[in-house]
Amino acid sequence: MLRSPCRTNVHCALRVIANYPLFSLFVLASWFAWLGEMSIAQALDPYLNQIKPLLTEKCISCHGALRSEAGLRLDAIQFIRAGSDSGSIVVNDTLKGCKLVERVTSQDIDYRMPPEDAGTALTKEQTQWLTNWIEAKLPGPEQESFLASPRVHWAYQPIVRPALPHATRDASENPIDRIVRGVQEEKQVRSLGTASDSAWLRRVTFDLTGLPPTVDELKLFIEDSSLAKRQQAIDHLLSKPSYGERWGRHWMDIWRYSDWDGYKNELRTSQRHIWHWRDWIIESLNANKPYAQMIVEMLAADELVPGNQETLRATGFLARNFHKSNRNIWLDATVEHTAKAFLGLTLNCAKCHDHKYDPIPQTAYYQFRAVFEPHRIRTDQIAGVANIDKDGIPRAYDEDLDAATYLYVRGNDKNPLKDSPVKPSVPDFFSIPFEIVPIALPLESYYPELSDLVRQNVLADKEAVEKSAFVQLHAKISALEKERAVQSDSRSAGFDSRGIAEIELATSKLNFAIADRTSTLARYAAEKTRCAIQSKFDSKYVCRRDNQIGSAIHPEGRLPFRHGVNAKTSWSVRPLFNIENPSNPWLEWTHLAKKASQAEFWHMRAQASHDVLLQQRAYDAAVKLHSKETDSAKREAAIKPSKDALAKSRKTLDQFASEPSVESTTYTPIGKELPHQSSGRRLALAKWIVHSDNPLTARVAINHIWMRHFGTPLVENTFDFGMSSPRPELLDALNWLSAELITNGWDMKHIHRLILNSDVYATASDSNDVDFYQANNAKDPENTTYWRANVRRLDAEEIRDSMLAVSDALEKTFCGPDLDFADGEKNMRRSLYFQHAYEKQMPMLVLFDAASPNECYRRKPSLVPQQALALANSGLARNLANRLAEASLKALNCEGTETETDAELFIERLFLTALARPPSNEEQKACMAFLKSQTNLMRDPDHLTRFSDDNNITESNQSPSERARQSLAIVLFNHHDFVTIR
Amino acid sequence: MYPSRKAISVDRRQLFGKMGLGFGGVALTAMLHRDQASAIESQHEQPVARAKSVIWLFMIGGASHMESFDPKPALNKYAGKTISETPFADALTSPFMANERAVAFDPNNGFVRTELFPMQVGFKKHGQSGLEISDWWPHLAHQADELCLVRSMWTEDSNHGAQLQFHTGRHRIDGFFPSIGSWVHYGLGTLNENLPQFVVLGTPVADCCGGMEVHRANYLGPQHDGVPLKIDPKDPLPFSRPPREIYREEQTEEFRLLRKLNQLTATQFPNDATIAARIKAYELAFRMQTAVPEIVSFGNESQQTLEDYGINQKDTETFGRQMLAARRLVEKGVRFVQVYHGNNGGAGQWDAHANLKSSHSKLCHQVDQPIAALIADLKQRGLLDETLVVWATEFGRTPGSQKSDGRDHHPYGFSIWMAGGGLKGGVTHGATDEIGFHAVEDRHYVTDIHATVLHQLGINPRSLQIPGRKRLERDFGTPIQQIIA
Repeated sequence: MLRSPCRTNVHCALRVIANYPLFSLFVLASWFAWLGEMSIAQALDPYLNQIKPLLTEKCISCHGALRSEAGLRLDAIQFIRAGSDSGSIVVNDTLKGCKLVERVTSQDIDYRMPPEDAGTALTKEQTQWLTNWIEAKLPGPEQESFLASPRVHWAYQPIVRPALPHATRDASENPIDRIVRGVQEEKQVRSLGTASDSAWLRRVTFDLTGLPPTVDELKLFIEDSSLAKRQQAIDHLLSKPSYGERWGRHWMDIWRYSDWDGYKNELRTSQRHIWHWRDWIIESLNANKPYAQMIVEMLAADELVPGNQETLRATGFLARNFHKSNRNIWLDATVEHTAKAFLGLTLNCAKCHDHKYDPIPQTAYYQFRAVFEPHRIRTDQIAGVANIDKDGIPRAYDEDLDAATYLYVRGNDKNPLKDSPVKPSVPDFFSIPFEIVPIALPLESYYPELSDLVRQNVLADKEAVEKSAFVQLHAKISALEKERAVQSDSRSAGFDSRGIAEIELATSKLNFAIADRTSTLARYAAEKTRCAIQSKFDSKYVCRRDNQIGSAIHPEGRLPFRHGVNAKTSWSVRPLFNIENPSNPWLEWTHLAKKASQAEFWHMRAQASHDVLLQQRAYDAAVKLHSKETDSAKREAAIKPSKDALAKSRKTLDQFASEPSVESTTYTPIGKELPHQSSGRRLALAKWIVHSDNPLTARVAINHIWMRHFGTPLVENTFDFGMSSPRPELLDALNWLSAELITNGWDMKHIHRLILNSDVYATASDSNDVDFYQANNAKDPENTTYWRANVRRLDAEEIRDSMLAVSDALEKTFCGPDLDFADGEKNMRRSLYFQHAYEKQMPMLVLFDAASPNECYRRKPSLVPQQALALANSGLARNLANRLAEASLKALNCEGTETETDAELFIERLFLTALARPPSNEEQKACMAFLKSQTNLMRDPDHLTRFSDDNNITESNQSPSERARQSLAIVLFNHHDFVTIR
Repeated sequence: MYPSRKAISVDRRQLFGKMGLGFGGVALTAMLHRDQASAIESQHEQPVARAKSVIWLFMIGGASHMESFDPKPALNKYAGKTISETPFADALTSPFMANERAVAFDPNNGFVRTELFPMQVGFKKHGQSGLEISDWWPHLAHQADELCLVRSMWTEDSNHGAQLQFHTGRHRIDGFFPSIGSWVHYGLGTLNENLPQFVVLGTPVADCCGGMEVHRANYLGPQHDGVPLKIDPKDPLPFSRPPREIYREEQTEEFRLLRKLNQLTATQFPNDATIAARIKAYELAFRMQTAVPEIVSFGNESQQTLEDYGINQKDTETFGRQMLAARRLVEKGVRFVQVYHGNNGGAGQWDAHANLKSSHSKLCHQVDQPIAALIADLKQRGLLDETLVVWATEFGRTPGSQKSDGRDHHPYGFSIWMAGGGLKGGVTHGATDEIGFHAVEDRHYVTDIHATVLHQLGINPRSLQIPGRKRLERDFGTPIQQIIA
């Protein structure tokens, strides 16, 4: 039987509603204004159903509120009637001489609307709609609203602290309560009152730490009768390290945290060791670092505090966007998500064309991109680890200061406008100062190999090699001496020559190691001096040149330096100064360069000579191996590779036959020298974003924080505050808190405190008074006025973490390297420490809607049966259920649950631990009966059937009642209330 | 979570009561039209449903069209010559060349290869329709009269991101979008509440080429993601059964108590609608524990069936099992079964840059008999009419050789086929030029296949758009009317 299309359509429609109940309110910018309480009759209006959507799709990007080319707007009937600068487009409501129809039906491609590059022509059907409508004399709604200028859009207004409604208690009453109560009064709804102590404590503990309160915390709190107990609890929770872990994960969602990803060991996206950024987020939140400072550090720590490795971790925000194969994908992601995360702007919509709804021309997209164009990602060594595959700090830096940005025609990277490179800037609609000041970098930033840290790492490695070579040599010598002492001369001759050969090799290796370290030290000294001298010229002659750093010209001649050279390029320089002049700083360098040149010569010679020894050995071994081969041609062929290699190594050594030139100043630099300057573009952008006049930054942040405390945001679309985003019901609350955030130095804990201490936050989620509830519900079913607390499902991490916590199994190690996602059922650390990347995610977290590493401005909790399977069947849940049951018994000092009293106590303890509330009488009864019947059931396992037909299952040594308790514990893990915050 | 009839009526009331018409119009107008028998035309008329399920077979790596379903004798005639030396030199300057886009420049692959390479296999006409099929598909050839070949496909990505593009309609550079299976799931919902409705079999595409996004729902939400099943009754999906020491009766009792406790909570919080939904999800999960392992266990299939699908032979066993499971799934009402063939951790096994003859003949052998058996089995059970089988690959292969005995990637023209589901059988639609370079007749971008599939399922592709997520004109595609029976 096939389903009727009718059913499927209904289904389809319902799915839209079920999934996007609120999105639906702002479908298209130009629609939302006239949607709302519309009758069915209106809904069937051809203008609203056909014409307006058609014009919206095809015309209003050029003939609407943002742009009205030729003075024509088509976003409301009154404008259609008004016509364009050159007159009416619809004359006397007839088709005769109707410019509108003429233009859209024209066969002349240059005359037709929409123009070829702006859209496809209208279909016959669509043209028919249009003509029908015109012939019917442009019928439509009597009152039609339309978009005003972007200047009046609520989110683009300056943030002004609104006047507060009168306080009902005293002047110190929480401003959030005053604002929300005002709106509730307007809507004639009344708050459900205050949540119980246990509900409130569970709510706030999860909100701030991502973990449930312990039974002891709960008891103490309930017994505490002081008035300030809630305030104290909030302060206490905010001071816990787990606050940073919980809110760190929230901001990691918004800032797109992703561990490195790639094919096998090849890095393709994000960066290895990006967890340092995660740790920076957690630590910064716990230290209550101002939000504005966090933004600046994430975008431009390398320009703000170039030498501070702790802070450089912040630029993981940029490092995360790394994309190996395509720079456009990399920068597109950087532009899109910087704008969405901090500004709530969909700048990405302007990549191919001017933004359809917001005052963002296409150029603005590329200007924003130009801010990031010079930057790249590298990994800096950390103290004690020279191998950056093992550990290191992935960080941003400006590598190519001359990198040009071009506008891609229609977003197509094959079609760049090469004639007019785009300069770095920000959308000029917002009149906030944007000033780029290039930044001179310290030596360790532009030449990391010259930093003390790297130097120590490198020298420590080289010393270790040298030491081991020395120990080896010593061992070979002792071995030979020992052998000589015991062997008679005639028999030891063979051993003797072998032993000497080994000593020879060990000596060569030691020589090489010493030469290597000496050469490194000498080149280090020369480079350090060279850079010290040059930095003086940098500050004098280079930094003042706007963004142009290339080869600097000194009045006395060309400096012997090039920037951005490859590490393999040798320095071959001939200073144009008078070298003989003792005041010439280059004299010292020349001296060191000569030493470096010679040390490197000896280093390379030692290497070549060591190589000859090795090749000789390989050759001898090959000759021996093939000595029995009688066919000389075959023998020669078999030996040839090692013979050639030996000849080649000898030839290399020959190059070092003569003594080094004492005058040579040529040596290999010990690392890559990067531009001595950073463009300052990212710092300028960061300052622009956190400028107190920026109308978006604080609002976007407040909205994110609010949503994570209340379950729903004030502004529905958390990443789009543009014109498509309708004015929020509680705009005053948003504005007041935004102003408060800015004037309090972007102090986020202050905002948490304000929110959490409010009555609104403490509101109950449900009421026994059904009529009262329904009366409210009828007036504000979406709860936009927060007359009740929203019931929320825990996030994925909270579900797993609270299973660990209540079972007393949580391992509380703080921060550190990412953990293998496959160990999620064995490793008892908190969930945010596990790898989370495109193809590396813990299945259980994915099932519970963990953040997509690609983009997650808001979690969307789903309810699918696979979640039930995960909680009921996973080894982790079963194992933890057992631990929970055991821990509960232990806390009660009970041996078992055989007596009725013990069983009752046990059940109560389980409920308090897992659900932070005691069981009701009925629950208690049901659980008592279950413990009994389940114990009986398990007494006779022979009558039971396995899920598996595997006969080799070892019987568990749990007693029937133990097993029943475990069953009860797993039932509580699966209880609706376990995953729910009320 | 699937709304019950009751839930629907509540939703509908709420819809009119409080939402006004503010949810995007499209679906609602359709709903008004259907439900209230209104005379107003909906903006998007919905077609009549001809099929209820889709089995979507995807060959990873790019199967050669010239060695499967699009014979090109000219290749043999001009073998060894460069394209410019043949009468078809125009191909190289065709405006279609501009359609090509790549994520990253690959110095080795993704080039136009000009030295023509002869066909590596012979073709014969099959069935009453005389459909031309290569000799590497002997079993499928018996089903020729059921097949509807589309020989005029084109795509954009000249590298294997085309795998993603084939399923979302968007180039990898544009990002991730809902896949075709997710749209079907989103638009149609369920026919069997005990099973996931969008099932994925075989090893998915590697992450180089789209990875899991090839069957994910992206902004439609994870409930519309494809659910990968393993053909292993003991472990068909994650957490499908408890640890082995648990007894069935033990867990049954646990679920019973859980239901009771949740019901008690529901009485306490009558306004929390999610409790009822959770109770339902648990009931469904409990049933899935039985239903899912059953569907992938073939105990009650006859020996003959197993043999037909090639399950008793080493080469065809894996794909044979997947084809049989696919039939069992659609039989139980699963909407969309996506089967991958040829994962090798990278670009895919069908990616025949060299050794085309040996590799393609081997791969065809692995899938030929199982696919033919699937079609025959569906037909015999009367299911072929309501099941649309799609065989596809991300692009074709170059008419020229890649300086070896293989062919390079070719996005400009390639073949796919469909069968059943209300489409015409034994037809060939569209054509490439004489050397198989460009699709020239009835050209179809990949979303035309999506549109055709949706159309047969009774969905106008244009009604699939959700608020805040505008789709481009081309994302919708156009149903290929000429092949619809």
